[in-house]
Amino acid sequence: MVEKLWFLIPEMIVFGGAVLVSVLGLSKRKVIRDALPIVAGGSLLAALIVTPMLYDAEHVAAANLLMGNLGLYVKVVVCGIGILLVMMNTGLIDRRLESAVAAGRAKFDPISATRGEFFAFLLLSLTGLMLCSNANDLIWLFLALELTSLPTYVMVAMSRGSKKAQEAAVKYFFLGALSAAIFLYGFALLYGASGTIVLTEMRDVFARQADFGDVSNLAIVGMILSILGISFKIAAAPMHFYAPDVYQGAAAAVAAFLAFVPKFAGLLALMLLLSTIGWENHYRFTEIGLPPALQITLWIIAVLTMTLGNVGALLQTSIKRILAYSSIAHSGYMLIGILAGPGLGMSAVLFYMLAYGLMNTAAFAVLAGLERSGREIETLDDLAGLRQRHPLMAGVMVVSALSLIGFPPLLGFWGKLYLFIAGIEAGHILLVVIAGLNSAISAWYYLGLVKMPMLEQPSARAETVVRGPSLWPRVAGLITAAAVIVVPLFTRNLLKASDAAVADEQVFVTPDTDDSQQLASRK
Amino acid sequence: MLTFALDLNAYLPIGILIVMALLFAVVNLIGTHILGPRRHGERKDTPYESGMDPIGSARKRFNVRFYILAMTFLVFDVEIIFLYPWAVTYTKLTPGSNDAALFLCRIMFFVATSIIAYVYAWRKGVFRWD
Repeated sequence: MVEKLWFLIPEMIVFGGAVLVSVLGLSKRKVIRDALPIVAGGSLLAALIVTPMLYDAEHVAAANLLMGNLGLYVKVVVCGIGILLVMMNTGLIDRRLESAVAAGRAKFDPISATRGEFFAFLLLSLTGLMLCSNANDLIWLFLALELTSLPTYVMVAMSRGSKKAQEAAVKYFFLGALSAAIFLYGFALLYGASGTIVLTEMRDVFARQADFGDVSNLAIVGMILSILGISFKIAAAPMHFYAPDVYQGAAAAVAAFLAFVPKFAGLLALMLLLSTIGWENHYRFTEIGLPPALQITLWIIAVLTMTLGNVGALLQTSIKRILAYSSIAHSGYMLIGILAGPGLGMSAVLFYMLAYGLMNTAAFAVLAGLERSGREIETLDDLAGLRQRHPLMAGVMVVSALSLIGFPPLLGFWGKLYLFIAGIEAGHILLVVIAGLNSAISAWYYLGLVKMPMLEQPSARAETVVRGPSLWPRVAGLITAAAVIVVPLFTRNLLKASDAAVADEQVFVTPDTDDSQQLASRK
Repeated sequence: MLTFALDLNAYLPIGILIVMALLFAVVNLIGTHILGPRRHGERKDTPYESGMDPIGSARKRFNVRFYILAMTFLVFDVEIIFLYPWAVTYTKLTPGSNDAALFLCRIMFFVATSIIAYVYAWRKGVFRWD
């Protein structure tokens, strides 16, 4: 019990930050209200520093989690990108209220201020994501997933004071509730099939079932329902329809958050759940890999997701919708890693998630940092000739778009390379070919994002694009773009870290000795 | 077997409670009927004398403060729901043991979060009714 709490110290720090921020946001003093992003970022930084100190072999062994070291990688990445997301959201909330108060037109009234709550929700959602990485039972996993999602619904509604944002939030909320119901049903069936909610015990039960025939059909159905429900979180087909509408309705900074946080949480949940049913236990039926039914399901979802995402993006003119469809397509790519399984596959997914988090945040940071007559820039035309007036932002957009295609020296290329290698190693050659074709399709619209700012002449409309009031979204954009260029130098170290995160000798390499003895004595 | 089924002594408190509840209701009804003043009028005869009009469209605007107040109530409601089972199980733990300390810390943490929620609601101006 205490062993598990040990690993929750980063979550507690971030949670403490959330509580602090929500109360401080009601302060009458402007200095304190303006310091909220610093408090939020500071709590994330503290969690980032504390995390590596917590994960030592002794404690990991004592906690007996399904993937003991997963949390180390996940929490460091989440806190790091979380700080960037906080920077992007600085100055977004309560802009009108704060300017009215500053001009003396209104008195500060706590009941109409939402900045504190917004940052609190942001931190709570990140807490949920971090909790996913230590989940060792279904209830915990469910609560962590919901803690990740529920604040995002409110964040979407708060992010812009417009009806569009509210519409997006309501759509997102109802579909999210539907997906939660679906995967909860799946969890219930998994419990019925295994008789336990503890993931490590489930893994043993399923291994035993596989040894005496096959994993029960109930478990397979439960797993398929869980995959379907979770595919909402990662915006994968057939649950991807909400993504373009919701991203368009939300402010750009919040859309960047939506593209990273729930997606990461969903992928972690998939990794944990599929690990219980095992990749190694089914060699009798499929050489290596998941049970056939699950393989087919994931295969179809992966192909549909990347194809629908890329084809959908071709038809869009709104940048946010393009990025939303691109987020769908990238989920499809990452499902290749999930299909490829432990070791290389999952490690590639974790690495890709970091790469995607950085390059996607960079793209949205351009939208968050610029504006046209007080509104966010919306369409591709607004970007025309951006290099003349805002050369740095144009550069950020180009770097992130090229990285999203997978242009060689940039981070996205390495991410995709390892995903495809993992897919080929696991024997999913057709899937990798389809993904390669999809990457080619995606080049069309990503190159549009490169062409507009660099090659086009600015239109009358684009001339009116100015810098947003806050400096920080643009700083976040520059940092992420720099990271997309520089981080590939450390690919080797990062892959070592992500390998260590998913490596668990007990699960994947050698079967638990006690278990195999028990099995032998039973036979 | 039979004696067990007929042993109704355990139900005596419940029986008394039911009788008292019925008596309370009946005595009050009769009491108001005999003692109460009688004035009739349009406003007087409505079910909620000083409340809302029960006849007409239900799609009326409510003051949002009712909603916020209900949520504040929920903070303490949930707290009580968790405190009862905690108090019952806590006495079964060995005093001074690690588990006891952990359980105490947990509930203190929980109480602290509810207090902060209350402070937050107060600072937000939920209790100002103007």
